[in-house]
Amino acid sequence: MNSTDIQIALCGSAGDGTIAAGDILRNAVAALGYRVICFDVYPPEIRGFGKCISRVRITTEQTYALKRQSDLLISLDDSHAIPHAGEVRTDGAIIYESKPVGHCPEGSHMSSHILPGQIPYGIPLRELAEKATGGARSRNLVVLGVIAGLLGFSPVPFQKIIEKKFAKQGPAVVSRNQAGFQSGYDVGVNTFKLDNVFCVPQESNPAAGKVVMLSGNAAVVQGCMDAELDTFFGYPITPATTIMERLATAMPKRGRRLLQTEDEISAIAATIGAGYTGARSATATSGPGLALMAEMLGLATMAEIPCVIFVSQRGGPSTGMPTKTEQSDLNAALYGSPGDSQRIVIAPTNVEGCYRCAGKAFEMSEQYQTPVIVLLDLYLSNRYETVTLTESGPPFTLNANKPLRRLEAGESYQRYAFTEDGVSPRAVPGDSGCMHVVTGLEHNTLGRPNDSEEIHTAMSRKRHDKLLAALHHPDFTVTKRIGHSGRIKVGILAWGSTFGECLEAMFMAHAEGISCASMKVVMLSPFPVEAVTQFMDDCDQVLVPEVNYEGQFAQLLQGILARPVVRLSRVPGSPMPVELILSEIRRLAGVV
Amino acid sequence: MSVAALHKVDLKPKDYKSEVSVVWCPGCGYHGILNSIYRALSELGVDYANLMAISGIGCSSRTPYFIKSYKMHTLHGRAGPVATGAQLARPDLAVLVTGGDGDGFSIGGGHMPHMARKNVNMTYVLYDNGIYGLTKGQYSPTSRPELKAYTTPYGGPDEPMNPLLYMLTYGATYVAQGFAGKPQICAELIKGALEHKGFSYVNIFSQCPTFNNIDTVEYYRELVREIPEGHDVTSLGAAMELARRDAEGHAPIGLLYKVDRPTLDERLHKIVEKVGGHPGYDVNKIIDLARP
Repeated sequence: MNSTDIQIALCGSAGDGTIAAGDILRNAVAALGYRVICFDVYPPEIRGFGKCISRVRITTEQTYALKRQSDLLISLDDSHAIPHAGEVRTDGAIIYESKPVGHCPEGSHMSSHILPGQIPYGIPLRELAEKATGGARSRNLVVLGVIAGLLGFSPVPFQKIIEKKFAKQGPAVVSRNQAGFQSGYDVGVNTFKLDNVFCVPQESNPAAGKVVMLSGNAAVVQGCMDAELDTFFGYPITPATTIMERLATAMPKRGRRLLQTEDEISAIAATIGAGYTGARSATATSGPGLALMAEMLGLATMAEIPCVIFVSQRGGPSTGMPTKTEQSDLNAALYGSPGDSQRIVIAPTNVEGCYRCAGKAFEMSEQYQTPVIVLLDLYLSNRYETVTLTESGPPFTLNANKPLRRLEAGESYQRYAFTEDGVSPRAVPGDSGCMHVVTGLEHNTLGRPNDSEEIHTAMSRKRHDKLLAALHHPDFTVTKRIGHSGRIKVGILAWGSTFGECLEAMFMAHAEGISCASMKVVMLSPFPVEAVTQFMDDCDQVLVPEVNYEGQFAQLLQGILARPVVRLSRVPGSPMPVELILSEIRRLAGVV
Repeated sequence: MSVAALHKVDLKPKDYKSEVSVVWCPGCGYHGILNSIYRALSELGVDYANLMAISGIGCSSRTPYFIKSYKMHTLHGRAGPVATGAQLARPDLAVLVTGGDGDGFSIGGGHMPHMARKNVNMTYVLYDNGIYGLTKGQYSPTSRPELKAYTTPYGGPDEPMNPLLYMLTYGATYVAQGFAGKPQICAELIKGALEHKGFSYVNIFSQCPTFNNIDTVEYYRELVREIPEGHDVTSLGAAMELARRDAEGHAPIGLLYKVDRPTLDERLHKIVEKVGGHPGYDVNKIIDLARP
């Protein structure tokens, strides 16, 4: 076997440094040249003893999602890790504390939960940590050393990252933590190697482009910066907050402005105010914030003001499940506003897509003079992937405004002039020839209130028809079919983060000889009727997996296309299990 | 806002009138306030190409239509945050918000503290008539309990708020009050507000002859007293004392409070300088993008 595909799950209690260890691990193996997908699960409480899991999938080939089964489970807290023992595959290993402190009631220790076929590695993590560093807090680093030694990763990038991470606390702290890692590493290299999960050494810095490790939210920020976002207004909400936090660091360095506002209403209001004056402006929120923004989104649609809204979904309704993932804000993103208020809605399916959608959203927003919602979800916002960025500079247009022509003498500027493509060239404040009013009231071509039947009909048509051009927006993937071509037994139609799981399931089905293909729908409004219809024409059965209860995407499909689809809607608070999709594919293909 | 840095033009008050005809009822105090705004703009020589008039919803929120400028007629209660965004994106513009008591202190009440404490560089003129006019006569946060409006047919169940006390407490750096029946004073106060660097707030009493039959011109004439000379406008304590009204319940008109504090715009600029970012926020780049 000449490829690597290992998934490691680190599990502990809040405060054990589980997520921090996962962070070091993914960055170290990315530096070694592997492809990485990671996703952390943590409790909504900051302190206390909630469960934290960091899962890291390390591969030589491109993959699209986490695996259901991990090859290695590391327990930093048995009470949380024991329920996850079953997620370790046969011949996989479980690393746990072999010398727990104090009384250990029956059944509370990992050793009694190892399943037949799993390899137990009881290691005195606490003892090693205390010996090397004088304290037990660095157990997480000891365990990283064990992983590196066991799997044959070079310790160099681990030590470098540890040095960088603790540099601020002085050289003594750095060397203490490095010693902790080393003590684990020594144990790891001297232990039996795991069967067939050894790692093929990778060339670091592969040929084309520059490889970076980004979370979905970090990729959004990179896209914003590369599209030269001028202003950002936001209000903290999980899981979108890190977009604002990262921008708060990045924007002032480029002379740009960010403001934390008093609520989501003022965040979108200020975004629209800035958008009107010509600035590229954005905000980021989650479902509850989107609900508050709904009225303002209608204003942006009505007054045709460019603005970009990043929405990272979490479990709902109401406050719901703030730290759990879900795809249940599709309807709110599509329809949440008074009146006929269609806007552009796009949903990336992976981290690289977050980057592209973020940058392209500004282009589209300017070009079609409309709000653009970029729909993410917690799973996509928080998961890390290695991404290859092009070396040739950002692939975004920095001015997508329709050119404004000079007015004839005596001619008044018509902000909402009817044009062939429905887009009226817009003026921004500063020019004495183009002063005008914009309003949330229905208006004539000058922007003045007018509620006649003729105007309302014509303006409604203008606001909707101009968006259709977005379906052919240059250099943007609206839909994409992957898998078998031609006639297929099962077609999978999916949107957002779930598409990765669909691809994994599809490739497994291919290996079983099932004819199937997948299509991702990145643009959800306006809806790519033609492309989706063509795909459905090729399918005997269409499967629509999504992480929500109502089957919101399936409803959208059926509403627009009036064709039957098979729904696979689940709300586990976690990504859709690949095996579940696979078993549905098998069932629909008639393979039992 | 500070219009000092703006390009000066020589325009008469009538030059700031737009082609849209004024839609308010005859006898409404708003006509006087609008004329005061025209006068203040003219006296300061504000270039209308760099003026942004922004409003929410209500009778007073129609004001931008009647001013020759760039303008946004936005949503109920949201003029303030929209203006904040416009001001920060384009600090080269003069930003004027107009709105009513319901718009500013009922639905938009959550935004007021933050515009004031952040010292957003803009002017907010609040037309205070103690009634919802556009929805045809419901009680507002500044209605007196004696008022029998359509939603309070037996009188109001609560006490009116005192906008001046709120704005002083919130940290506005310019707080004034006028009365539509005294347009000269209003024009002076608005002019001062436009010249002020930071968040300037002007509360203007106005009669609504159509829906508020108790807050009449005569009532306001009796209510208001000009602030005596010698009042220290830099003293928050003195301003609060005036705003609380005197023993007879008279309301002060004139300038209550004016201090200098860095604006939000300036502070954001400082942060950019501190991190060694782009030397200045390049508004010209933005303007050029969409210029004919």
